Amino acid sequence: MINRTDIQAAVEARLAKRYRAEGRFRLFGILAILAAISVLLLLIGSIASQSIPAFRVNELTLPITLEAARVDPAGDGSAASLRRGSYNSLLQEALRAEFPEIEDRDQLRELFGLYTPLNSARLQNHVLDHPELVGQTIDFTFPISDDADLYLQGRTTASSEAAPGLVATPSSTTGEVRIFANSNVFSPIVSDIRARLTTQAEELEDRAERYVARATNSASDEARIGLTREAEQARIRAASLRGLAEPGGLSVNMSPELPSSLIRMNGGIIDITRITDSGRTAEGRVLVALDNTDTGDDWTIWTLDVPQAERRITDAQIAWAETLRERGRVEVGFNTYLFTNADSREPELAGVLGAVIGSALTMLVTMFLAVPIGVATAVYLEEFAPKNRLTGFIEVNINNLAAVPSIVFGLLGLAVFISLFGLPRSAPLVGGMVLALMTLPTVIISSRAALKAVPPSIREAALGVGASRLQTVVHHVLPLAAPGILTGSIIGLAQAMGETAPLLMIGMVAFVADAPSLSIGGLTEPATVMPVQIYLWSDGAERAFEPRTAAAILVLLALMIMFNAVAVFLRRRFERRW
Amino acid sequence: MPINALILLMMLVLISAAFYVGRSRALRTADRESVSLHSLPNYHGYFVALWTGVPALLLMAAMAMFGPSLTGNVIELRLNQAAAPLIEDFDSRQSEDSLILSAQRTLEASADVNAATQARAALQNRRTAIAENIAASARENGASSLTLAGFEYANLPPERRGLFMNDARALAFNGQPSEITPAIEATASAFRPVDRFVRYGGAALAVLLAMAGLAWSRSRVKAGFRARNRVEAAFMGFLMVCSGIAILTTIGIVASLLFESLRFFEAINWRLDQFLFGTQWSPQTAIRADQVGQTGAFGAVPLFAGTFMITIIAILVAGPIGLFAAIYLSEYAGKRTRKIVKPVMEILAGIPTVVYGFFALLTVGPAIRAAAEFVGFESAVTQSALSAGLVMGVMIIPFVSSLSDDVINAVPQTLRDGAYAMGATKSETVKQVILPAALPGIVGAFLLAISRAVGETMIVVMAAGQGANLTANPLESVTTITVQIVMLLTGDQEFDSAKTLSAFALGLVLFIFTLALNVIALRVVQKYREKYD
Repeated sequence: MINRTDIQAAVEARLAKRYRAEGRFRLFGILAILAAISVLLLLIGSIASQSIPAFRVNELTLPITLEAARVDPAGDGSAASLRRGSYNSLLQEALRAEFPEIEDRDQLRELFGLYTPLNSARLQNHVLDHPELVGQTIDFTFPISDDADLYLQGRTTASSEAAPGLVATPSSTTGEVRIFANSNVFSPIVSDIRARLTTQAEELEDRAERYVARATNSASDEARIGLTREAEQARIRAASLRGLAEPGGLSVNMSPELPSSLIRMNGGIIDITRITDSGRTAEGRVLVALDNTDTGDDWTIWTLDVPQAERRITDAQIAWAETLRERGRVEVGFNTYLFTNADSREPELAGVLGAVIGSALTMLVTMFLAVPIGVATAVYLEEFAPKNRLTGFIEVNINNLAAVPSIVFGLLGLAVFISLFGLPRSAPLVGGMVLALMTLPTVIISSRAALKAVPPSIREAALGVGASRLQTVVHHVLPLAAPGILTGSIIGLAQAMGETAPLLMIGMVAFVADAPSLSIGGLTEPATVMPVQIYLWSDGAERAFEPRTAAAILVLLALMIMFNAVAVFLRRRFERRW
Repeated sequence: MPINALILLMMLVLISAAFYVGRSRALRTADRESVSLHSLPNYHGYFVALWTGVPALLLMAAMAMFGPSLTGNVIELRLNQAAAPLIEDFDSRQSEDSLILSAQRTLEASADVNAATQARAALQNRRTAIAENIAASARENGASSLTLAGFEYANLPPERRGLFMNDARALAFNGQPSEITPAIEATASAFRPVDRFVRYGGAALAVLLAMAGLAWSRSRVKAGFRARNRVEAAFMGFLMVCSGIAILTTIGIVASLLFESLRFFEAINWRLDQFLFGTQWSPQTAIRADQVGQTGAFGAVPLFAGTFMITIIAILVAGPIGLFAAIYLSEYAGKRTRKIVKPVMEILAGIPTVVYGFFALLTVGPAIRAAAEFVGFESAVTQSALSAGLVMGVMIIPFVSSLSDDVINAVPQTLRDGAYAMGATKSETVKQVILPAALPGIVGAFLLAISRAVGETMIVVMAAGQGANLTANPLESVTTITVQIVMLLTGDQEFDSAKTLSAFALGLVLFIFTLALNVIALRVVQKYREKYD
């Protein structure tokens, strides 16, 4: 005999548990959605934040005298003669005029590393467009090198300046100098370097120990030998670091593996190479000439935290770039090169224009193939096809094609369009054809859905007043289904625009420095498209390609959002419910 | 190009003219005979326009496709013809030359590799010498430059001939030849008239065909002529041809994959077992015998394992998230939440995969490496199976969620109502009634998501690395089928090497696998739908 109240108590106790389970279940659902959405936000946020440096660029403006003898060697002002001018040397001289104190050839090469020689082609084009400028002095603006640009945007190294406020004297204004101070102002640098070296040495020793431990545990001889060798190397490096850290007296040599210290004094910049005399004297070389050798306490120590060996821009280039900025020669502006240039090996000159045009050409081909063929197939299958084996087979085919990996379409394009038909590689024509085959199932499926949505009464009415079956479809059913068909087609095209893999197969990964022409002829020229450009840049060796890749992604996403917005608009505006 | 553009323009004019000719003739006939037309006058116009345009345009398309190869064949023929006496001379002198004969004898007789190589080199040298001799004497005798070019072309090794032709073609048509020699120049100047002939001839033929079509079809236009039926039949034919393209695509895929794969299997001596079950993948084939690390091993197991691991990671991410999201959206969320959240989640499916790849490479990969190093894995790398799998999982969330959402919604409301009436809570209803009922559909959704993940390319190319490691550690870099296809087919490639062909074999495996998954998934989903409909 079971007590009624017992049952009730048991049920109620269980009820609380069941409700808790209910709450948990619901929470999992919410968490899943939140997870998905937060990853989406993280994705877009991280790409947007990575892209920021790409939209700004530091440009160098220098006065350039277009001497007739150098720009126009033949002296007749003809385009052929202007093309033979030596423009790069003009740029070099203009830059050199900013730093007349630089004599050393290595240092000059470093200085000229502040811009890419490709800019001389831009100067040449400018002169070709305006031959009347020959003989005049013009202000020519060009982007500073990508590494300098990243530095000036504060993305290479943290830097700090400290004013010791103590009296010091430089020995000369150019070349190798010594700076004498009355007290040991430089000893903090020395101790900082010592500490750093010691920590690095300790880390290396730790690592060596771990390697040894793993070597004794490892199973194969091969691994053991490799690990032992690595341990040995780590030990040797640690020992050399310790050696650097413990020299006699309070003097230390700066090395590229250590943070750089520079001195700004009397309007010039000195790179410290050695500190001696218990931190009272610094030796170094002048990067930017000092105005005089006056003694004073108005000088600063400028520290660049990232060691020179770990960045692509040297101390000297940083000093010069900084000086050019202080002199107003370098100004930061909106990066128009990103939108008006085609691809380039130099990040500062690289742009997405070529890829956008390539994408446009490819999409045109895709659209002109996929939409008519897709709609025709849908009309046939939905309105005319007899229900037999063959049409059943076609339907199964289409459904399966929709799920074939896109890279397989690329293989098809390579084997059939390029090898068999001999169409050109890397061409938007072939790319468009491959993407059209890939998009076809999407267009067919959405068009069929749109046609299905048109009620049979429309057809019956048209047939009733004597229209032929084709007239019924062309005059009545298709116009009513058009918004749905268009929406589906646009979504399919947007998908195709973001597709990369099949285009890699047909060679659209070539480096294309000239934007293809936006014409019929452009269809067979080598080209690349936006997603492939993104892939290529993400592989780029220069760090400055990273923000540019992110920026290109934003451009691609913006294009796709535009496409989809048009689709949504069409659906909202013209959609009919029956 | 301009001639083609001109002809195309002319065609357009002709076609529109044809339309008006057909239409007005129909109207006039009707007037004169004072009978009513069978078809509307426009259909007569369409009929004439079709007959004018379609054959001519087809011819032009054919010319555009086969014209260049036709020109090439003609040029090759002319080169051979021009150089025929020299080639004959060359052959006869070769067969009489004692040095060549002795070298050939050694080549046939000796089994020694060194001797054979020497004999081959001697043979080659002697042949070149004779060829030069003949060319020089021909030049002295005032042979035409085309003759010399033909002789040079005949003596080129087969693989250089294509390059020679391309250079000549480029030189003739404002392209950029890789080199310019007198022979290439002569060929190029031979190219121009032939090309002009083919091009203008084709254009003239097209115009003639259009005219003939116009004249013939115009004569057909009569009051009782069933123009509409003809036009509709033509249009129907067009529709049918279009639907055939889907089949053609499938046939094209299967044929190209199979054909190239068979060539690959032939190249590896039909050791299919080594391809499918071999554990070493290093497709670089050795060019010299003593080259290190280029064994040309085609064991695809590391690729399958890498694909499998990344897919598993992806499905572990996408499965629970997608399923729970689908359950929440269909069972718990209000209409408004659903209306906002669903499209937002679907954005994940619309983002190009190359963007995911970039995200995996620069955000997720380094984060995972840092985390792994923090935990104590020294050898963690940025390009790992884990980062590629996680990001791919995010990408396929919408596939799982929207497909599962569909099947959950398809479960009849009566089943839910029955469960609620028994006093079940919502989660109990979901777990014990809805999910079992929707299970086949959900399985189908998972299968489709897996097939997506297996075929996905860019994320793995960018984020999973390229080393063909056979490992179970998700922190190491692995490689997948799709990555290897991309690696094998991008960059310089010769189309006949086993290395290139192996990409097609991998493609075939990929195609068969995804196709099987899809067929199973569709079957499962369909079967289930029928149960409740």
